[in-house]
Amino acid sequence: MSIAATHPDAAERGDLVRLGLWIFLGTVTMLFAAFTSAYVVRRSGADWQPVWLPPVLWVNTAVLLGSSLALEAARRLGLSQRVASAGSAYLIALALGIAFLAGQVVAWRQLVAAGIYLPTNPSSSFFFMLTGAHAVHVVAAVGVIAWGTVVTWTVGSRDAVRWNTTTDVCCLFSHFLFGVWLYLLALVSFS
Amino acid sequence: MSTAALPDAGHADLGFVRRYIFSTDHKVIGIQYIITGLVMALVGVALALLIRLQLGWPDHQWTLLSTLFPAGYAGGVMTPEFYLAVVTMHGTIMVFFFISYVLVSGFGNYLVPLQVGARDMAFPFLNMLSYWIAFLSALVLIASFFVEGGAAAAGWTAYPPLSAIAAAVPGSQLGQTLWLLSMALFIASFTMSGLNIVATVFSVRAPGMSMGRLPLTVWSYFIASILGLLAFPPLTAAAVMLLLDRHAGTSFFLPGGLVVGNQLLSTSGGSPLLWQHLFWFLGHPEVYVLILPALGIACDILPAFTRKPVFGYRISVWCLVAVGVLSMIVWGHHMFVSGMSPFTGEYFSLVTLTITVPMTIFGVNMLASLWGGTIRMRVPMMFALSVIALFGSGGFGGLFLGNATADMQLHDTYFVVGHFHMMIGGVTLMATFAAIYYWFPKMFGRTMNEALGKAHFWGTFGPFFIIFFMQHFVGLEGAPRRYYAFTSFDYLQHTRGTNLAISISAMVLIAAQALFFVNFCWSLVAGRRALPNPWHATTLEWTTASPPPYGNFADREPVVHRWAYEYGVEAPEGDFADQTVPPRSVPVTV
Amino acid sequence: MTPNTPRQILESSLVALLFASLGFGGVWYGAGISMPDLASRHGAGIDAMMNYLLLTVGVLFLTGYVALAILIWRGARRRAIGARLASRRTELTLSGALGVGMALIAEGGVLAIGIPVWAEYFDPSPPADAVVVEVTAQQFMWNVRYPGPDGVFGRTRPDLIDDATNPVGVDRADPAAADDVFTINEITVPVNRTVRVRLHSKDVIHSFFLPHLRVKQDAVPGMTPEAIFVPTREGTFEIACAELCGLAHYRMRGFFNVVSQQEYESWLRDQGTP
Repeated sequence: MSIAATHPDAAERGDLVRLGLWIFLGTVTMLFAAFTSAYVVRRSGADWQPVWLPPVLWVNTAVLLGSSLALEAARRLGLSQRVASAGSAYLIALALGIAFLAGQVVAWRQLVAAGIYLPTNPSSSFFFMLTGAHAVHVVAAVGVIAWGTVVTWTVGSRDAVRWNTTTDVCCLFSHFLFGVWLYLLALVSFS
Repeated sequence: MSTAALPDAGHADLGFVRRYIFSTDHKVIGIQYIITGLVMALVGVALALLIRLQLGWPDHQWTLLSTLFPAGYAGGVMTPEFYLAVVTMHGTIMVFFFISYVLVSGFGNYLVPLQVGARDMAFPFLNMLSYWIAFLSALVLIASFFVEGGAAAAGWTAYPPLSAIAAAVPGSQLGQTLWLLSMALFIASFTMSGLNIVATVFSVRAPGMSMGRLPLTVWSYFIASILGLLAFPPLTAAAVMLLLDRHAGTSFFLPGGLVVGNQLLSTSGGSPLLWQHLFWFLGHPEVYVLILPALGIACDILPAFTRKPVFGYRISVWCLVAVGVLSMIVWGHHMFVSGMSPFTGEYFSLVTLTITVPMTIFGVNMLASLWGGTIRMRVPMMFALSVIALFGSGGFGGLFLGNATADMQLHDTYFVVGHFHMMIGGVTLMATFAAIYYWFPKMFGRTMNEALGKAHFWGTFGPFFIIFFMQHFVGLEGAPRRYYAFTSFDYLQHTRGTNLAISISAMVLIAAQALFFVNFCWSLVAGRRALPNPWHATTLEWTTASPPPYGNFADREPVVHRWAYEYGVEAPEGDFADQTVPPRSVPVTV
Repeated sequence: MTPNTPRQILESSLVALLFASLGFGGVWYGAGISMPDLASRHGAGIDAMMNYLLLTVGVLFLTGYVALAILIWRGARRRAIGARLASRRTELTLSGALGVGMALIAEGGVLAIGIPVWAEYFDPSPPADAVVVEVTAQQFMWNVRYPGPDGVFGRTRPDLIDDATNPVGVDRADPAAADDVFTINEITVPVNRTVRVRLHSKDVIHSFFLPHLRVKQDAVPGMTPEAIFVPTREGTFEIACAELCGLAHYRMRGFFNVVSQQEYESWLRDQGTP
């Protein structure tokens, strides 16, 4: 049976979906915790040389922040019934999410151009792996935002509860990934 | 909680494919997992047979086998490379693709919504996705048998550098990569499944079903799922790093100065121990993910056949929680001789031994559940009793292995093999059989044959116990594990007779499983029709038809008034009151 | 559910007998098994631990199976429920007693016997006159090196390794390497003196296992763990590999010869460069 069938009440459904997301974020947290412990162990090795961080990473950070903020804006706009504006905010969030991914590719290519590849040294290995793992999750988030955009344009004004759930999910997931990104930046910066 | 009338009337119009292949119904998905797991078990058992043939008769020429496996049996004798691949795949398949699929994902999916009184899991579409990814994972693993170099051969533990360097053993060519990809898919599937179970137990319980009225089965799945969700990610991380070491030239796990095939490799600075820490951070909780549902199920089957409540329900719940928590901080007991600091070793000894406390309490609670009961010796009960027996026996081995001192002599010997087979191969296997015999009528609306079931028990428990009990002592005598043969060492020559006895018992054990498979398949099509509650049990799944209708509980959701152990009372239904019986009919205990 | 028929009572009795006989049979079988004959000092502690556990576990094991058998035997014949529900107090008392009991047996007993052994084995300051031997494991043999009369091991470099001519990669230019003694799969040491086995590995993880001396230590590439112990009995003891290392893991066999002090000295002299 579908969720809609087992939980006809949209508010209940929303709570359930939010719970599911929180549990999933717990798992993702453990993944990055595992990567962190590996990183900390490796960093104490004798041959550790911190990797050069391309400045474009700071631009990407701002872009990712922008994406999260746009989703927050969408949420507040939706709460005050301004669905069309909320839809625009969603599109901005989507565009910025994709821009972040593009920016990450730029960062990787800059490293490669400087002769720094995945196996070059331990810190470059970790950099590519950590940012790669984060990017995989951002791809998923972009997919979720795209779905949220579609929901906004199709049922946004008619089914407020469902729309709220969708937007909460997009917001939570994006903010979480932004938090992970800040954390990873700090991790690779302070070595 | 929703009290709507039966929705989705359009379900009857769904074609065969949407109802039985790509179904979102937790009951169908549960059965899909069970069938897949049983098929994988056949592969795992076949591999076990090959192992025991080699160890029982090391110099024998096998003409039939060399026809079936020409690469693995050169000149009629099994090759060491094939042996190692067989051992590796046997372990991997049995742990992840048999027990986990049947017991954890299969019965978990089937039972949890029914037992909490829900119409389905929290996220049915995600549930369906989890099964098909699991199916794909199994296919990828089986495919690894057929690639160049054969299947992975570095043990189910896949320690680098052996698993990282293609030249170190043939299975470390493509076979190991496919193994890692299969595990990645498995973990994705398990995450979806576990997430569903946790969300369902949290949020989708029927009215009146408080956490304190949940059957121990549901508690065990709940805790096991949380454990799995927290513990699997480090293996994902490790698998990613091992794939990069194997294919992208990184050195996460590979130190400098490695010389393989007389070639100096260009790796530098990595640590093989890092893999071990990450692997066992999952590896240890994983065995509790497997065993907790086994224990929970046994605790719920026993009362139906003693006609009295389980002993110490709330204490047992706390024991499960304690074991879950403790299991996450003891992983280093797999690494006492790994080169880890001895102080770390002492810490892990201290904490590992504390697990004995909740586990002993739980085990004795199971035993005490028999006290004062009137025992009905039916097939599910025979296997439930086997769970208690093997849990105790195998658990004692944990005392030896959990302390660093004794472990120095016993690490990587057959003592370990005997111990984990008794626990994962024994407790979980007996619980799996108990579960299948017990819930088969509910799942398929037919009864399994009682006589065949009893014969299956007699052919299973005795030989199983003999094999793995003896292996503890072979290990005490110093026989290392993963040995293709014991013929090269003087001090092991006298174990030849024991290995022969073990191999013969194994063949009896394997042959007895045919009784089960025949019974299962035959009963599916020709078993006697089952009643809704043939065992006179109290949990919610027995209050609905066999098999349950679409939506589980027809047009009205159950309302729960009592715990799951109202046995031995005077009630309209007999000597028990199921969880929905209102207080005015029968006094409520909990 | 219907009460037991005589036939079902008989079946239950057989199950009870099965458990009882496995309990007694198990103890009888286990009592007849012995570990390889002890040949080291710290090993006495390990054996004491083993014996403590075998005895304790043996008693608990037998008690458990007999209890199970009795409960089944009696339960099958009981027609009415004896006590429907144990009181909360009974449950808590039993759990409390078990908890304390297991804590004493497991934590208490095991740690009391075990920690001193562990401490001795990992003694941070072994005697200065210990015999130091370097063992470099590889697929599938044990390369052994002694420092020679100068007591210093010659430098090694991985890029100098050649399986045929220089398996451990000794730098011949280093003067300390001139008197190093090399063997393959053979270690000779004097009895009753501390031995320090310094472990290396060239390729994958191996594990240096001396069953008779109760010694086991993984040889991990990139690390140099040591196994420190005192052989207490003369004889030749087999070395086995105890960590899966590839195809010939099962026949990575070495010999650990424990001889008298004089024999050791004369053996070492004989190994000197001609």
